[in-house]
Amino acid sequence: MTRLPRGVERLLAWTVPLDEQEPIAGDLLEEHALRLRDGGCAATARAWAATWWSAVQIAASFTWERARRDRTLPPIADELPSRPALRDVLAHDVAFGVRMLRRQPGFAAVAIAVLAFGLGATTAMFSIVDAVLWRPLPFPHADRVVSLAEQRPRENRWFGPIAPADFFDWRQASRSVSAMAAYMTPPSGAFNLTGVGEPDRVNALEVSPAFLTVLGLAPAVGRDFRPDEETFGRHRLALLSDALWRRRFGADPAIAGRTVDVDGHPYEIAGVLPARFWWPTRPDIVVPLALDDHDRTLRGAHFLEAVARLADGVSIERAREEFQVISARLSQQYPAENRGHAANVRPLRDALVGDVRPALIVLLGAVGFVLLIACANVATLLLARATTRRKEMSIRRAVGASRLRIVQQLMTESLVIAVLGAAAGLVVASAALALARGVLPAQFTGLPGIGTVGLDARVLTATFGFSIATGLVFGIVPALASSDSRVAAAMGEENRGSSGGLRARRCRAALMIVELALSLVLLAGAALLLVSFDRLINVPPGFRPAQLAVAQIALPGARYGEHARAVAFFDALFERLRAAPGVQRAAASTSLPLDGPDSTLDLVIEHRRTQSGDGPMRAHPRLVSTDYFATLGIPLVRGRVFTEHDNESSGQVAIINASAARRYWPDADPIGRRISLGAEDDWREIVGVVGDTRHEGLDADAEPAAYLPQHQLFSDLGASFERTMTLMIRSSNDAPANATIIRSAVSSVDPQLPAGIVRTMEEVIGDSIAPRRLNFILLSAFALVALVLACAGLYGVMSYAVAQRTREIGVRMALGASGWQVLGMMFGQAGRITAAGIGAGVAAALALTRSMSSLLFGVSAADPLIYAAVSVLLAAVALVAAVVPASRATRIDPLAALRDY
Amino acid sequence: MTDPSNLGEFEHVVLLAVLRLGDEAYAVAIRDEIEERTGRRASRGSVYVTLDRLETKGYLKSRFGDPTAVRGGRAKRYYALRPRAVAALQESRRALLQMWRGVDAVLERAR
Repeated sequence: MTRLPRGVERLLAWTVPLDEQEPIAGDLLEEHALRLRDGGCAATARAWAATWWSAVQIAASFTWERARRDRTLPPIADELPSRPALRDVLAHDVAFGVRMLRRQPGFAAVAIAVLAFGLGATTAMFSIVDAVLWRPLPFPHADRVVSLAEQRPRENRWFGPIAPADFFDWRQASRSVSAMAAYMTPPSGAFNLTGVGEPDRVNALEVSPAFLTVLGLAPAVGRDFRPDEETFGRHRLALLSDALWRRRFGADPAIAGRTVDVDGHPYEIAGVLPARFWWPTRPDIVVPLALDDHDRTLRGAHFLEAVARLADGVSIERAREEFQVISARLSQQYPAENRGHAANVRPLRDALVGDVRPALIVLLGAVGFVLLIACANVATLLLARATTRRKEMSIRRAVGASRLRIVQQLMTESLVIAVLGAAAGLVVASAALALARGVLPAQFTGLPGIGTVGLDARVLTATFGFSIATGLVFGIVPALASSDSRVAAAMGEENRGSSGGLRARRCRAALMIVELALSLVLLAGAALLLVSFDRLINVPPGFRPAQLAVAQIALPGARYGEHARAVAFFDALFERLRAAPGVQRAAASTSLPLDGPDSTLDLVIEHRRTQSGDGPMRAHPRLVSTDYFATLGIPLVRGRVFTEHDNESSGQVAIINASAARRYWPDADPIGRRISLGAEDDWREIVGVVGDTRHEGLDADAEPAAYLPQHQLFSDLGASFERTMTLMIRSSNDAPANATIIRSAVSSVDPQLPAGIVRTMEEVIGDSIAPRRLNFILLSAFALVALVLACAGLYGVMSYAVAQRTREIGVRMALGASGWQVLGMMFGQAGRITAAGIGAGVAAALALTRSMSSLLFGVSAADPLIYAAVSVLLAAVALVAAVVPASRATRIDPLAALRDY
Repeated sequence: MTDPSNLGEFEHVVLLAVLRLGDEAYAVAIRDEIEERTGRRASRGSVYVTLDRLETKGYLKSRFGDPTAVRGGRAKRYYALRPRAVAALQESRRALLQMWRGVDAVLERAR
């Protein structure tokens, strides 16, 4: 009897469906037998070849057919589309995902809420950081604009203001910049604008004529300043801001050439700034910076800031080199004033953003951590849900869905959740931004772009990107874990209620560890800022801030040009104030502590030569009224304070602070020595030494200062110096009463003088630390949210573990385990996760908080006490989160557990 | 519902061959019948696959014949049309005839 070749049979067995194998093999054998009938070797060979060929054809046909359509699904049409279009698959998956979410509204709500918070906070923070740090400044080719500063290492100033003579020398010598301009906010910050309607106080900026050229702007109406208009006497010109032009002048197109009264002087309006003009101080009026012949030669007084536009093709590095060369030459030429000084060139944005940058980056990082924690939280939720859906996945796999297809389906569901979370997050973000606009401290309102922060297309795109990334991050682990269920095992396990797969359990534990670690990093950061803030507000300022009210008084030069008149005004004012009920003392000073930097001048000590090894001798000049020290509560260290008798007719006197005494008379008594500030031969005898006060900030050490009596003329910083003073009263009244007293006293002495804003000294101090307070509040809020999310996550994981292990715990209890042993077991599980999380978190925090060192004060970024405290806090909170599920485990009824499972 | 468009050309041919052969419709005979009628030698594989497919789609039913020695004790698989195949063929024929009516002249000219 003939048989089919063995290989042919095997080939058919591999490739042909079972029910077809017998008839096909029969057919082949029938034909094979027919061919063999002829006999002979050649015929036999031909028959074998033909049968093999037939078998290969059949095998190929069936293989092709199988490949062409999904054999595991019942074919419903001849031409089953081999692969549905991706778009249809997506639409199907999205619809399916939405259906799944609607069937589990609780899960959906929690996941979307968690993500909304994470994405909302991230979006808000991103929009701020983007506006402040990343968007171009609102000038054409803003990247070509640089900020210039004078570096005075011996005074620990790296980006300090520039002395006028240095500025003019730099401007003349430099070739690497196409235009260069100095600018300065006038001492009072604002001008009195009169002559058009109500008197108005408008923010002012004094600039070199090339200022707009440097910024790449031109007036919208009228003309720019001409180069010669920085000459004193030819400078009575003004450019108005677009807003002021519209508000006060009805957007009059023919405004150029009109005259307005600025601080009592007639100024011709040169033109109107373009509407897009922006500057941190938001000036409404820009006037030429005109220095008189004396001021132009100053090299020891630093009060100018400057900007420049890089010449075409010049890199900032080359400009930096050139300015280094120029300033090095000046240092040699004027060693007394300029030793060690250098010009510093940096992008304008760096100068405008300053030390806010590290804070913003830290906060953005922190909010990113919150988002990651939210992701981990949603991932644990998904993992828990994935376990309940194992049967569904097993059936899908059994009917032929590939693993890839299941992962795709699950990822689509995750993305649906993420996008919904992002949509809700936008609501959170816009609320957060509205809130932020309300509470931003003044130091932040001058940041570039801060006024335009909002949810625009760029931010929305970023948010969408974040949400997709988020969906991928929190979706991938659960998707991979649940698609891997081995079919039969999974279907069986479901019924036994076992612990849900080692792999998924490990995933959950790992996610929890990540969550706890991230929380610890945020907690450590927040704690560091909190301790810094605490240290900062406990720095003694050197005076008694309680019960002090302050207000700025700017006397117009036209009416108070004479020294005597200004002095008379203040004497009259003090008299009125002292007579007011509740007011104990009243005083005035050119510089209010903790209200921004004040000027420095060269200090010359009589009979002392400057040694080559010494740094330049400088001091802050502060013109004060007689009662200043008593009013502020600054203690007298030696000698005496000023009296009524220190006036024009008596000998010139000065009082120095303890820092000046320590630095310039380390081994001697300064009382009785004579000093001169700024100008030569303006000798004053030191009559007293007073305690240091913090001036530039609670975190800045006191610098040498010299106090001069208001009654003795001091003109070295220009006449306007003595006319802009801060009035202060010590009174037992409340703040509104003090404001009323000051206003009525000012207007009774000079009815035409606008009263400034009255603040309490506590408010001034509060403003000086506002950025730090904001940092620490934001980071604390993020840390708190992280803690809550991590707790909720741990609670969920533990509850789930208890539910999954009910049967096991029941068996244990039936075999004699006590409630305490069960409790210990559950706590052991939570404790191991928490310990791992804390360990990882401490390591990460130690690495990451280094970047915060510029935000810290009086505390090391690696302070062991802080790390111990936050670790204990996190452990305590984590264990509290584990208590409820663990105690639930002890209440399991062994009988019920064994019966039900 | 039978949808003639579901019937591929080769499927059509196979169904007609099964119809023609009656009780003798098994794969080898069907292939020979197609060759004899159309002059086209179909590949073995495509015949088997098409028969399998038509059966899955519910156009054909099959029965196993008695095993014979020459086939090594293996049964033949005989195919027969299910009613829906008859309906599909009739529908297909009607549609084709309708479409053919009057196009001979056109076809002639196009040549």
